[in-house]
Amino acid sequence: MTVASQVKQSLASIKSIEANLSSLAIRSQSKEAQQSFHETMEIMHDIQKDLHTRVGEMERQEEQYKGF
Amino acid sequence: MPEWVNVVIRSTSLIVVIFIIAKLFGKRHLSQLSVFEYLIGLVISVIAATVSIGLITPFWHGIIGLGIWFIIPFLLVLLAIKSKPVRDLVRGKGTVFIKDGKVMEDNLKKEKYSSDDLLQQLRNKNVFQVADVEFAVLEADGDISVLPKKEKQPLTPKDLGITVAPIKEPQTVVMDGEILYEPLATGGFSVKWLETEFEKLGVSVENVYLAQVDSFGQLTVDLFDDKLQVPAPQEKPLLLATTKKMQADMEIFALSTQNKQAKQMYTKNSQKLQKAIDRLTPFLSD
Repeated sequence: MTVASQVKQSLASIKSIEANLSSLAIRSQSKEAQQSFHETMEIMHDIQKDLHTRVGEMERQEEQYKGF
Repeated sequence: MPEWVNVVIRSTSLIVVIFIIAKLFGKRHLSQLSVFEYLIGLVISVIAATVSIGLITPFWHGIIGLGIWFIIPFLLVLLAIKSKPVRDLVRGKGTVFIKDGKVMEDNLKKEKYSSDDLLQQLRNKNVFQVADVEFAVLEADGDISVLPKKEKQPLTPKDLGITVAPIKEPQTVVMDGEILYEPLATGGFSVKWLETEFEKLGVSVENVYLAQVDSFGQLTVDLFDDKLQVPAPQEKPLLLATTKKMQADMEIFALSTQNKQAKQMYTKNSQKLQKAIDRLTPFLSD
């Protein structure tokens, strides 16, 4: 597996983590838990954006990794 | 009117009266009654019994007696709620048996407690050695309360310095194969959501004996058919594991890339993830 595809896989994982956290934040009963889940979800979102940009850079540098 | 009809009428009306009296005295358990309250209960029941079969004539004398035996103790109870001295008088005060780890022999004698009685009561509280007790008091209801020395107390997360997630009471959403709508709404869930969860587990509502939702919205079920295995909720541990893997991946990417900027970005995100993991661990580990 090339590095580019590994990074793409990580991008998918982080999206899944973000979605899971969001769902837990909605379902949790206690305010504290909701807040923790929500804040970590936002961290995940930032990381997701970084990874997304990185994937874009890689695709631009090496055309053959374009697409999934 | 024949006498037996009178007995029927008196008995029926007295059942109602006794029921109301019992309700008015509240929910205290029998073993929590003081001797005084216990005797009052006895007197009231004896009067009621004799009135109902007509041993007391006229009937009204019995009712007056019953009323007085009810009203005065009831007023005392009300007064006891308001005033501490009355409460101490009516319900009695606790007696300190062990203080600073030392047995108060005089207090034991005052309450007619032998050393064997004390040891037995302590054993009832799972204390087998007097030296383990910091403080013990004989409550007004005759039960003994024990405060063990700090090092003999059960270990709590606070002692270990572990942060734990706060929890709320779980909601029981299915009983005997039927959905309970009110608890479901209290937890903020819809019937649709519940049906989807059951589908995920591969069971139908009719086969569920009990289903509860915890404060993280995880569903646990018990089925009528005990041969079927229901998987435990996996979502939270799985999420924690994925996040940890993510953090490890970030470190690997940081090490393997030649691009300085990318290296920095991966390192920064790996640190962010570590912080997130620390924050989530109490909530995600059961």
